[in-house]
Amino acid sequence: MAAREPIISMRGVSKRFGGVTALQDVDLDAYPGEVLAIVGDNGAGKSTLIKILTGVYRATGGTIEMDGEILSMNSHSEAIARGIDAVYQTLALADHLDPASNMFLGSELTKSFLGFPLLDNKRMREESERVLFDRLGVRLPNMDAPTESLSGGQRQAVAIARAVYHSDLRVLVMDEPTAALGPQETARTLKLIEVLREQGLAIVLISHSLDDVFAVSDRIQVMRRGRCVGIVKTAESSTQEVLGLIVGVTEDA
Amino acid sequence: MAENAQNQLKERLDPYMAIIAPLAMILMIAAFMGIAEPTRYFRLSNLNIILLEAALYMPMAMAMTFVITQRGIDLSIGSVAALTSIIMAFLIKQYGFPDWAAVSIAICLGGLLGLINGLIITKFRVPDLIGTLAMDLVYRGLALVLAKGLVLARFPDLITDIGRGRLEWFLPIPVTIGILAFIVGFVLLKRTHFGRYSIAIGSSPEAAELTGIAVDRYKLHAYILMGTMAALAGVMLAGKLNAVQATSAPYFNLHVIAAVVVGGTSLFGGRASLLGSFAGVLLLSMMINALVTLRIEFFWQSVGSGVVIITSVALFTWLQKKDRDGGGGLFAAFATPENIKIVKLSGGLLALLIALLALGHFLSGAPVASG
Repeated sequence: MAAREPIISMRGVSKRFGGVTALQDVDLDAYPGEVLAIVGDNGAGKSTLIKILTGVYRATGGTIEMDGEILSMNSHSEAIARGIDAVYQTLALADHLDPASNMFLGSELTKSFLGFPLLDNKRMREESERVLFDRLGVRLPNMDAPTESLSGGQRQAVAIARAVYHSDLRVLVMDEPTAALGPQETARTLKLIEVLREQGLAIVLISHSLDDVFAVSDRIQVMRRGRCVGIVKTAESSTQEVLGLIVGVTEDA
Repeated sequence: MAENAQNQLKERLDPYMAIIAPLAMILMIAAFMGIAEPTRYFRLSNLNIILLEAALYMPMAMAMTFVITQRGIDLSIGSVAALTSIIMAFLIKQYGFPDWAAVSIAICLGGLLGLINGLIITKFRVPDLIGTLAMDLVYRGLALVLAKGLVLARFPDLITDIGRGRLEWFLPIPVTIGILAFIVGFVLLKRTHFGRYSIAIGSSPEAAELTGIAVDRYKLHAYILMGTMAALAGVMLAGKLNAVQATSAPYFNLHVIAAVVVGGTSLFGGRASLLGSFAGVLLLSMMINALVTLRIEFFWQSVGSGVVIITSVALFTWLQKKDRDGGGGLFAAFATPENIKIVKLSGGLLALLIALLALGHFLSGAPVASG
């Protein structure tokens, strides 16, 4: 795994909001076919870091390289165009629309009718069924029902399907994907993450749940007070060690 | 098992719920009038009156469905209709504009007034309720300034045709316009970005923002559509009455909002039902006509409209609440400690009122003529 080149490497990234330093000199490497978990206490800078990665914020200092080439992204849509997308904690689903409409929300498929672009609902529906099944192994019971009637895990699948629909997606950031789910749904979502890893995506997972992190990640990057305080290989580490890094006892004691 | 079957039935009925409720009320009115006044109510000429009345509100109800679906509201439509039709009348009467030009100008102007509403809401961040209420005053004031107390009457055929003409062997022209408006609305809702994003914006503004939808732009589109349709209704009303004055169309806003809400479009956004709005418009026209046919005093119309709005909104809210917490029967839900306190409070208030009435009655002298 170490022999492979990272898709994304962030070097010395800092972010200041006015006088407050949210991130200081942070590095991040994301490799294809690997799940990188980012853990840390509230306010440790996890969200700021991934918002810089997904183009929502601009870094005050430092560089982001993709395939060895320096990226400068001014917006989230530029990041999506580069193959970096995120699934938010809130999933950003419109509950009253059906799953297919949600999957294509903001990038609908259209066909031209007398020069007017009209939504191609039939094709969007077929495409979302295909993406859900082929890439995530999910078949929804009812493609016509509003998204609010789906279970938490199914909603998650729709949100992930939206991100992976772009065939050039290479880096997927997942912000607290299991926070609102029950144990069964959590297991299913972790399964989805593994499926995506098999497909060679680089996955950056933000989570508070160390159980989930240890279940699915390959490496764990620990953040504390805006700095990266350690990167461990999941297989060679323990909950104890990571917890120690998060709260800072191993250093201070 | 029985519950499962009931749920399945409910699930299958759910998409049609919006249309079932107003249809049920329409049938109730029809049944009631069938017993009370069958000959006068179901006369062809009376049905024609009902349709003409409904047609006036159809384009506006279509547009309002989009506005409300986006969690917006537009209270200014009556004044938009009055102002644009006054200007149309002046252009024809005073400046000799050709009729088609004046009509097109009025409708475009409606779009412009809608744009102003939209800009006030999206750019100045004035809440829609306050923003359009204030603009209602502004537009009405301008109409009064322009027309003073004048009634402008007798318009060219084009305008009276739009208001009350009849296509050969077919529906009256305003009804055709109204139905066309709904067909256009249906295509907009199901087949365009505008419709899809209207639902998304009302359903979850955050999700709409996060997926890169230009929320403000699509809100503007909805208010422009609303203004255009209000102006169209202004032209239709001018043609129907063959007269225009600054105080015309005073209750367009409440009537149209009532029709849309009765039709099952949710005031909380995200749930659009054009078919429901269509049924809602028909329902309100049938109800008002029924009151007239029964020779009930005109002022009861206002009471009737209010009762219909409250009933249907409460019904929709209740239906949705039930499928959220499974329901536990009406009485179980009622007998909470909080509700008992509310009952005591209302009882006390009523007792006080009765006591005051009694006191006034015992101390009363001879009646005094007013004035």
